[in-house]
Amino acid sequence: MKSSRFAALLIGCAFGSALPSLALAHGASRLKLIKSVEINAPAAKVWKIVGNFDNMDWVPTVAKTAGTGGDNPDNAKRVLTLKNGGKINESLYKYDPDSMSYSYYMDHVDLKILPVTNYSATLVVIPEGSKSKVEWRGAFFRGDPNFDPPPALNDDAATKAVTKLYVSGLTSLKQKIEAGEAIN
Amino acid sequence: MSRLGHFARLIAAAGVSIGFVAVGSALADEAFITNQNANSVSVLDLTSKKVVATIPVAGKPAGIAMSRDGTRAYVTSPEGPYVSVIDTASRRVLRKFPAGRDPLGIAIDPTGKFVYVADFDIPHLYKIDVSTGKIVADAHVGKSPCGVAVTPNGKLIVVADRDDNQISIVDAATFKRIGVVKVGQHPFGLTIDAEGKRVYTADVVSNTVSVVDLASQKLIGTVKTGLRPYVVAVNGKYGFSTDEYGGTVTVFDLKTLKFVKRINVGDYPEGIEFSSDGSKLYVANWMSDDVWGIDAKTFKPVAKIKVQDGPRSFGTFIRKTP
Repeated sequence: MKSSRFAALLIGCAFGSALPSLALAHGASRLKLIKSVEINAPAAKVWKIVGNFDNMDWVPTVAKTAGTGGDNPDNAKRVLTLKNGGKINESLYKYDPDSMSYSYYMDHVDLKILPVTNYSATLVVIPEGSKSKVEWRGAFFRGDPNFDPPPALNDDAATKAVTKLYVSGLTSLKQKIEAGEAIN
Repeated sequence: MSRLGHFARLIAAAGVSIGFVAVGSALADEAFITNQNANSVSVLDLTSKKVVATIPVAGKPAGIAMSRDGTRAYVTSPEGPYVSVIDTASRRVLRKFPAGRDPLGIAIDPTGKFVYVADFDIPHLYKIDVSTGKIVADAHVGKSPCGVAVTPNGKLIVVADRDDNQISIVDAATFKRIGVVKVGQHPFGLTIDAEGKRVYTADVVSNTVSVVDLASQKLIGTVKTGLRPYVVAVNGKYGFSTDEYGGTVTVFDLKTLKFVKRINVGDYPEGIEFSSDGSKLYVANWMSDDVWGIDAKTFKPVAKIKVQDGPRSFGTFIRKTP
């Protein structure tokens, strides 16, 4: 690793024209991803479901959620058990029923499940007349924050994985609410 | 600048200031905001509270150092990797110079002749001559260096070595590290007070600001902040940390090092700096894509200015217009 870095530096110095290809390797910048969905239901009703930190069962890949500490940002935690058996540990750090939003961060996730580090996110319900909009805002770094990550742990892989989670989650939330399906 | 030119500028400046006095306002400050995700720098007129220019800067611009005279802004692009020199008056990038592998934190010496750039990937601090763009000295610092600050007399440079939980103190003349002081966990931003006596670091993981006495090279206090503090600013009386997860600015008393107040700002606040007269603070909010102005006395918001995607302005970013 060290020696290949050194070699890359040497090549960069020796051949100025080799620099553009080197430019692909770079330090990790924080990535931002915001996805939203319009739901044909009043915000208060949607917040009743989304605002329950102990329940992420509306996300298709989640088999069950086990929460402790309720909606208290000082100590609320949850463990998502995924349908493939994987687990994600998350902590609530901000809960604001007035603006119908909460924020949490991931304490731990297997990079094979979600190739991200330092992940935090906010879920917010925005009233739009008799309808509402749910927005999921994520902030995270790629799975390998070092200078030259393998493809499975680079910026693209991280963005792709979180995009898939948000889009599938929000689509499923919309379907369940609009179909009047019960979400515990 | 010729003497005559300087004189003409003074007259022009006087004319402008009289013009402003007539409408009851002071000379304008401008903020240069690095929009990391948008690859741009927004120029904000802080009097009219409007974006007056947008400068394309590629490579995910993050760090910034404003020259003391306000004529140049130096912007780091970690994914460049390079430093862009911005002519603040014409709002143009004059040139770019390479700066190691992963340039992030940057500070400028009081004379404006050198910038100091921390390489986040390889633990080095570079001294770059801004007239040539060449690295003229190179100092070893701790792991994953982030924030950089210079004492007002230009003699010492202090670097936050994030992954070593410490600051490195570098002698500007010899460009050798002369001290290391352990602080809280993962110091990111740091600032030095106007007297050049104390260093304040924002410790991201321990949720604290560490206070270091420069002369004795000792940690003299710790202040609890909101969640994930990134950057800290101080005036003569208070310290202010931007708490990224909290979406807050924590105010603490510099004498007692006690908590004073928590101010709600935008989402994921990072860069923070005082206006040139010290009456306001400006905060760049990375997630909500805006810059908030806060009254430094009442702690109330006085401005919310929308910018582009991912504003950070990690460093010094405000200039007084001539």
